[in-house]
Amino acid sequence: MELYAPILVLGLLAAGFAIFSVGIAPFTGPKRWNRAKLDAYECGIEPTRQPVGGGRFPLKYMITAMLFIVFDIEIIFLYPWAVAFDQLGVFGLVEMVLFILTVLVAYTYVWRRKGLDWD
Amino acid sequence: MSTLLAAPPGTIPAPTIEYTQLAPMMLVFGAAIVGVLVEAFAPRHLRSAVHVPLTLLSLAGAFALTILLAVDGTRNVAAMGAVAVDGPSLFIHGTILVLAFVSVLLFNERLQFVSQAASVPGSTEEEDSLEEGAVQTEVYPLALFAIGGMLLFSAANDLLAMFVGLEVMSLPLYLLCGLARRRRLLSQEAAVKYFLLGAFSSAFFLYGMALIYGFAGSVDLAKINDALGSASGRDTLLYVGAALLGVGLLFKIGAAPFQAWKPDVYQGAPTPITALMASGTLVAAFGAVLRVFWVALGNLDWDWRPVMWGVAILTMVVGAILAITQTDIKRMLAYSSIAHAGFLLTGVIATGGPAQNEEALSGILFYLVAYGFTTVGAFAVVTMVRDAGGEAGHLSRWAGLGKRSPLLAGVFAFFLLAFAGIPLTSGFFGKYAVFAAAVSGGATPLVIVGVVSSAIAAFFYVRVIVLMFFSDPAPDGPTVDVSSMGTAAVVAVAAAATVVLGVLPQPVLDLADAAAHSLFVR
Amino acid sequence: MLSVAIFLPLAAACVLAALPRLGASAARAVWILVSAAVLGLAAAMWAGYPGGVAYEQRLRWIPSLGAGYHVGVDGMSLPLVALTALLFLVCAVYTGRDTPRMPAYAAFFLFLEAVSLGLFAALDLLLFFVFFDLSIVGMYFVIVGWGHGDRARSALRFFLYTFLGSLALLLGFIGLFLGGGTFDLVELAARPPFRAEPGIAGLVLLAVGIGFAVKTPVVPVHTWLPPAHTDAPAAGSAILAGILLKMGAYGLARVALPVLPGAWQRHAWVVIAIGVVSVVYGAFVALAQRDLKRLIAYTSVNHMGYIVLALGAAGLAAGDERARDLAVTGAVTQMVSHGLVTGALFLLAGVVWDRAHDYDLTRLGGLAGPAPVLTALTAVAAFASLGLPGLSGFIAEFQIFAGVIGTGIPGAAVAGAIAVAGVLVTAALFLRVLQRAFLGGPGELTARFTDVRPRELLAVAPLLALSLAVGIAPRPLLDLVEPAAAAVVTLVSR
Repeated sequence: MELYAPILVLGLLAAGFAIFSVGIAPFTGPKRWNRAKLDAYECGIEPTRQPVGGGRFPLKYMITAMLFIVFDIEIIFLYPWAVAFDQLGVFGLVEMVLFILTVLVAYTYVWRRKGLDWD
Repeated sequence: MSTLLAAPPGTIPAPTIEYTQLAPMMLVFGAAIVGVLVEAFAPRHLRSAVHVPLTLLSLAGAFALTILLAVDGTRNVAAMGAVAVDGPSLFIHGTILVLAFVSVLLFNERLQFVSQAASVPGSTEEEDSLEEGAVQTEVYPLALFAIGGMLLFSAANDLLAMFVGLEVMSLPLYLLCGLARRRRLLSQEAAVKYFLLGAFSSAFFLYGMALIYGFAGSVDLAKINDALGSASGRDTLLYVGAALLGVGLLFKIGAAPFQAWKPDVYQGAPTPITALMASGTLVAAFGAVLRVFWVALGNLDWDWRPVMWGVAILTMVVGAILAITQTDIKRMLAYSSIAHAGFLLTGVIATGGPAQNEEALSGILFYLVAYGFTTVGAFAVVTMVRDAGGEAGHLSRWAGLGKRSPLLAGVFAFFLLAFAGIPLTSGFFGKYAVFAAAVSGGATPLVIVGVVSSAIAAFFYVRVIVLMFFSDPAPDGPTVDVSSMGTAAVVAVAAAATVVLGVLPQPVLDLADAAAHSLFVR
Repeated sequence: MLSVAIFLPLAAACVLAALPRLGASAARAVWILVSAAVLGLAAAMWAGYPGGVAYEQRLRWIPSLGAGYHVGVDGMSLPLVALTALLFLVCAVYTGRDTPRMPAYAAFFLFLEAVSLGLFAALDLLLFFVFFDLSIVGMYFVIVGWGHGDRARSALRFFLYTFLGSLALLLGFIGLFLGGGTFDLVELAARPPFRAEPGIAGLVLLAVGIGFAVKTPVVPVHTWLPPAHTDAPAAGSAILAGILLKMGAYGLARVALPVLPGAWQRHAWVVIAIGVVSVVYGAFVALAQRDLKRLIAYTSVNHMGYIVLALGAAGLAAGDERARDLAVTGAVTQMVSHGLVTGALFLLAGVVWDRAHDYDLTRLGGLAGPAPVLTALTAVAAFASLGLPGLSGFIAEFQIFAGVIGTGIPGAAVAGAIAVAGVLVTAALFLRVLQRAFLGGPGELTARFTDVRPRELLAVAPLLALSLAVGIAPRPLLDLVEPAAAAVVTLVSR
């Protein structure tokens, strides 16, 4: 049970922080009202009625999201290797180079196919 | 996890990878990656000229490496127990590679694949890309990835590697299904259906895997089997896990009641892709089914056998009966593929002692080769019979084909007779081998159902033959396109294989016996 | 020599199939020549037959399945081989040049000839099955392609019944293989499998029996036969009745009796009952037919019933052995006789169709006027079929009745007596046909009739002449059949 105590403490701390920050905000923050603040989303796009069939959506967003995932996944593999690379030795290095090369191939494909151009 | 945390630093053992034993798979994946680079850097007009030899050579090379491995006699588990290199897996690899090679010969990106996959069907962008002469040459690397996935899927010795193989195989196929040049909406519908249902089945597989891990504490197939004997008290995890795992696998082979995707996808996908799926994917999926049910759940056969009985009966009956009502040739072949999956399942059920298992395994392996060749040949013929709007899919358009093109119609009739299992075709010995194994495995009632449904199935095969030879051709009937050397070669090879396996099956039977002799490594 | 006889027609069929543009006359000439050559080979084999299993040939084919290419003929199969060769030649002669798609038609018949010869010669179960199944496929296409009336439906029914039957047969053969470890008929007969397991032997016999019963056919799985015959072309009907039906009965005598003797003995009464029912039912239903071809078809059910009855009686181990020999001899003789006579009857029915495009007996009448030779031929064929002494049918049926009743078992005697009554009914119905269609006042279709053409006469006359020859001097045939029949009875009595 003692093993789990730190986790419990961490959880309590996190919950406490969340409750504290949300609870204190109305009292400490400045209150300057404008129209944008009343919108559902504050990113600047006005919410409109959804067209029939979902409408068309610029593909650019999806490509950005996919590129993000590619690099995100790469980090997931790179991180544990970076922690233990000295123990994995040459084998780890070779495998990691292979992995990065594979991702690089995909990356060059996207680049050559103009996936990185915004317009 | 706890052992990892507790271990002092500096003692993580580096895993070993037997690169030579994995060479066929690595060659295919490597060629696929090179293919992506070709897409990135080669000028557009050269791409096809590079892709075709690259793809075919890599498949041929992988086949040669597989043969070398088989001759070499290596039988063990490679890559820390993730991949099995044994008789059945080498036989299945060889089969997949040959069938994939033949299917790739059918690829003709200008005729069958869309010019620009991202454009909306019927839009001006699509017309522009057509005029521009754009072609989607990505089909070659995508196909190679799918084939590599098939190799891994069928040889995986732990559930995690199997899942990776499943996904690597499936994802490119989802894409490829949506790339038909004609009947674009149908093709895209097929791709979406396949993707959604496939993702669903993958989720089942994954969930089942998690539960099995919870039961056995390992994803290694052999260790799961060991745990069946020792672990107890967590039977619920085991049963639910095995059932979910089964759902995921049975979906891939198209067994009822998970067969609904097959007709839609086979019909909508570009025909060469359908050929690849009907042959390669089926073979790979049966490799995986055998491995999971015989190796991992081998000691549980008393529990899964009744369920598999039901699935096999349902699959055979559904496939045979629904095929009768079809009016589209590709849908009909899809239902026939479902029925054949059912026949193969009777072999999967026919387990017993080692000798019995060998007989059943050898029968299944032979059946897979025989069916694979015939089905690729049949789809190749389908690509050759063309209307103004693309392939002549509707059966009524095939009326009187025997008068227009007796040779092609004759070959197609021969393929259909092979599907029906008429003697002197490969289908007869395939069916014989599986049914004989099932009878000696004590599944005689199942074989009787199989016999009845193959008689029903024979009905719709001969109906098509009659339609081709004894009906009058429509005045504006389809033309037979014999311009492609590759397609003609595929039809010739498939017909030759169907004859040779039907008249002199002994060499391939010997090969299957030898492959089945040592059963699966554990 | 035997293999040449099997593969010569097959090769000719392939050549004809490869040359679809060949003229009708040339195709017909090839067909006749090849059939004549095969008949010559069959005659030579008969003349040089030394006794026992002759002209044997054994090649390795699929050793891992225990199946080989093993052919040979004995006293039971040689008459049927000869009958096959003759009947196919006769059909070639009968078929006119005006047949549509002549090369394909000839190719299918040559294919069927090869398959039939192969089946009667096969001494390996897998080889036997291959030919058995291919015969169904070949005949299906003949009916669909060149039949008349509701041919697609009839052909389909034929296909579904017999194909399902053949798959049951395959199941039975798989069972025999698992029991005996080989597909070789000689070895299986020498060491019958499942001696100690009567239950399994019964099931295997059931599967094999269903397969052969559908093809023979016996009541109640005969329903495919009348439509198939009615809608098939004349030559197709003749082959279907003359040769393909024999495959079922021959299969029982060749496979079921020697290989599953115990089970056959235990279930002999079931077989006898089925045989008697087929005899009586076939005869009475035939009596009720207005359609000439359906009528002949139902008499086939009746005639094949006699064979089944005789084979059933052969399994009565308690019965007198000489009587059982006689029954089996009669059964084989009946196969030959029925092939000759029913083949002739169907060809004659084909003549009627050619002139009138109808088989309705009520619309025919007084054909003796415009077509005296046709009438004479039909009369001879009908008398042969109903078993008039002096013709082959009498020899066969007499031996069967004498054998069945002579076993000395009361039940068999009753069965034999009932079956004799069937002869009376067939006699009545054939006389009715002769009286209705050929004698009496002219019917509405009579005006269309002309007498037989030379090629039709040339086709039918040899069959009837042989029937007469067997009826008057049966010794040459019986000398051949009797040792083989005795061998079968010895095998089944183990």
